[in-house]
Amino acid sequence: MNDHNDADESLVSELRQYFERVDPVPPLVIEAAKVALGWQRLDADLAELLTDSALEAESLAGVRGASADVRSVSFGAGELTIELEIRVEGAGRMLLGLVSPPSIATIEIQSTDGDAVTVTETDRLGRFRAQLPAGGNIRLRLLPGEPDSAQPVETSWITI
Amino acid sequence: MTLDALMRAAAAGDQVAWNAIVDRFSGLVWATTRAHRLSAADAADVTQTTWLRLVEHLDRIKDPERLGAWLATTARHECLRLIRLRGRELPSDESSVFDAPAEDHELDWSMLVQERDSALKRALATIGERCQALLRLLAAPEAPSYEEIGAALGMPVGAIGPTRARCLDKLRRSPEIVSLGTP
Repeated sequence: MNDHNDADESLVSELRQYFERVDPVPPLVIEAAKVALGWQRLDADLAELLTDSALEAESLAGVRGASADVRSVSFGAGELTIELEIRVEGAGRMLLGLVSPPSIATIEIQSTDGDAVTVTETDRLGRFRAQLPAGGNIRLRLLPGEPDSAQPVETSWITI
Repeated sequence: MTLDALMRAAAAGDQVAWNAIVDRFSGLVWATTRAHRLSAADAADVTQTTWLRLVEHLDRIKDPERLGAWLATTARHECLRLIRLRGRELPSDESSVFDAPAEDHELDWSMLVQERDSALKRALATIGERCQALLRLLAAPEAPSYEEIGAALGMPVGAIGPTRARCLDKLRRSPEIVSLGTP
């Protein structure tokens, strides 16, 4: 980084002061970041976000098919995968999911907006559905049906 | 405390350590969202998702010294997701920071600063999106490293130096800045 001359340095430093005046990180955004530690996973395995049609579609710049209203994402933790289809329905969101291998489980949908939790169950085939009143940051917590089986699994957060 | 120690303390639930991490990198994350021209509301969403991602990965980050680059990469991916979902439209009721001037300055700034800010704003509007994004990151709080800037913009680290020089030159030559004198 020895190619910087003094004039460049002083212009960058002026820009830094400028952005600090006109576009500082809003205090509420910093506050939300600090509170995020409260969402730490304590007793669950993480199901990582594996695929997201919203991100893959980025390479098809400008192409928008009929499926643009439906977003599919998948999460995985070891053997377990959770597939999710998200439909925007006005302000609300319809979620259709599939847990595989299929198992009877309780699915909690946690949201960072307040403490509202939407609860649903999978059927024998591992399918579940849920209707959320609004979008936002959510994650799924899967509680296995049989009490003696594996510990709960939580997905990565996604913005829907 | 080193980043490594802060990360381990935060993973154990230490709120003070976590706050220190947030204070150090929130400027980088925010600048990444703004460089992608997100509105303030979308930028706040992406920022929150990015920090939630770090919380869920606290015990999995392999190289704590590269945490800034990890956060910048995560924020960039979240920006791309949101841009895709939004169809890349900026909400009409809110302008990006790079848009042309608005008379929105607070009154207690000195006239000189106001004049300079409004010249900078007009000048920034003329240098193109790529330069705007790079300069927004270069001028982020805590002076991000080239690695962090490259991660935030999806840009090879080797391209940053030359692009930086070119963009600063462009800015300096813009009539708005020239009319104010140095730098």
